[in-house]
Amino acid sequence: MKLKTAILMLLLMGSLVFAQEKELVNGIFRGSRIINSHSLETQRAGEFEFILSHRFGTIENGISDLFGLDVARMRMGFAYGATSWLTLGVGRSTFEKTYDGYVKARILRQKKGGLPFSMTYLGSTAIRTQAFGPQDSIAASKFTNRLFYTHQIMIGSKISDRLSIQIMPTLVHRNFIDSREEETNDVFAIGGAMRFRLTKTLALSGEYYYVLPGQLRDGFVNSAAIGIEISTNGHDFQIELTNSQGMQEKIFITETTSRWSDMGIRMGFNLSRKFKARGKWF
Amino acid sequence: MVLRNKWIWSLLTIICCIVVMAFKPVSKLKKWDAETPIHEVLFALGEEKPKHFLKKMTPEMVERGKEIILTGQTTSPKGKKSSRVSKYYQCTTCHNLVQEDPDLTKRDPELRLDYAIKNKLPFLQATTFHGIVNRESWYNDDYVKKYGDLVRKANQSLEESIQLCATECAQGRLLKGWELEAVTAYFWSLGFKLGELGLTDQEMGQLVEGNEAADPEELRAMLKSKYMLKSPAHFGDAPPNKEKGYEGLTGNPERGKHIYELSCQYCHKEGGVSWYTLDDNKLTFKELLRNIPKEKHFSLYQIIRYGTYAVPGHRPYMPHYPIERMSNQQVEDLRSYIVQEAK
Repeated sequence: MKLKTAILMLLLMGSLVFAQEKELVNGIFRGSRIINSHSLETQRAGEFEFILSHRFGTIENGISDLFGLDVARMRMGFAYGATSWLTLGVGRSTFEKTYDGYVKARILRQKKGGLPFSMTYLGSTAIRTQAFGPQDSIAASKFTNRLFYTHQIMIGSKISDRLSIQIMPTLVHRNFIDSREEETNDVFAIGGAMRFRLTKTLALSGEYYYVLPGQLRDGFVNSAAIGIEISTNGHDFQIELTNSQGMQEKIFITETTSRWSDMGIRMGFNLSRKFKARGKWF
Repeated sequence: MVLRNKWIWSLLTIICCIVVMAFKPVSKLKKWDAETPIHEVLFALGEEKPKHFLKKMTPEMVERGKEIILTGQTTSPKGKKSSRVSKYYQCTTCHNLVQEDPDLTKRDPELRLDYAIKNKLPFLQATTFHGIVNRESWYNDDYVKKYGDLVRKANQSLEESIQLCATECAQGRLLKGWELEAVTAYFWSLGFKLGELGLTDQEMGQLVEGNEAADPEELRAMLKSKYMLKSPAHFGDAPPNKEKGYEGLTGNPERGKHIYELSCQYCHKEGGVSWYTLDDNKLTFKELLRNIPKEKHFSLYQIIRYGTYAVPGHRPYMPHYPIERMSNQQVEDLRSYIVQEAK
């Protein structure tokens, strides 16, 4: 009850700050993704973003598979700024031929001399379309059992000219889990991310998801990633190292198996290009 | 006989009318005041109407023209929404709509900056539309020298200038006939008025009283001496040694701050016409400082003096500043502000 009251007070304070017409803090993160995670940034109204992501195999086999480059998972996604605060997106990943769709809505904006953080909601649905194998349960192939949902609140702040941080309480709901294992349909996790700008166009980023214990079976580990971000006009490049092979929440939060300590590190990149689909280009 | 008399009387009446009209005193002069557009005065004094004069100008045309200038599109006389003239820019990306030089007979960027600071105006590459119809040439001097036939017609015609601006400067499309008329009508509404010319009481008196002794040609010349008939445009160069900057000039960071805000950030603000945002972050100033000596358009000397070009696949670009729009001293002022903020 006390927590609810505190949250309510915080939101109320935020609204009061909004009423003062203070200057918005822009660019807490550069792009719509930190590494695997979404950032709290939404597209500008009428802006269209194409994002191409790759995650390669682990580097543990060395030169024989060129440090994992022979194996690649790919996600191709599109996001559209319906308004300046609402982004709609779709994507498809080669991992289990998974399609996803999401909405991202800004709730609060950080302001200079005002509210010290921004808040964005992410709601995502993913559908696995890959056929199940003989070892899988027959029930798994039912359509509704192929669905996964993610709800996430992203709270972030530009601490200084160089440093931005974000925390992400997350709930991943899986319609179907294999009942032979000790798992839960709902998986709660808390993510943390940061971006440290080295120059105007170069930044380091990192993210980590802590999955609360007792929800996943043995063998699944927390997702961690570090990356370097290069921004040009219109294009953003992110080159990263991560132990996750998926680029959708249900994959990297609940299905990561590689460990950093065992050289289960994967190279990867995100490449995004923005276009103007509606209104004036810039 | 009666019929013949009627003809004679009719003829006499017509001759009388012509004589009366020819020797009619310039009674219109008495109506002229500070709000009178100067083109009306000039025409009354016998000035030939320019090619861009419109016989018919309605408030609807002016409103449509204003919308095109401000947003790039409007509603056609048939009630259809027009397509955007340019996907990238609107006219006000580079042009002001109000007076920007405190003295209309001078194009002094230093005075203009003071005026821009005082009146909170953007400090831009292109000249204001205020009084554009009163000029007699456009795209002057080095624009003709550099671009030759591309701008020669525009140099002598406001309508050609508008079309050139729409297609080349804004990387858009040609305006349709009704759009061109609407924009021209709006421009006529922005023409100079007598009260803006700083006429002395004596000069105003000459006009108001309609001194018949005054030569209309002299009056026209007097009026035209109160504003510039063209905006000079000369292209400058980046300093030979960018590290040292323009020789003999020392920047004033306080003025540089105003240039950064009224000029650079006008386009490079968050949500502005450029992807390359220039905020007040120290990293931004460090980047600008680091790029100064470079032989590429990220150097402020390079971008201000040469701009960039529209290329296939990437049409947006940045036009350069002629020296009449930003002086070498002002570039040094801007540099000194960047140096100060990057520390």
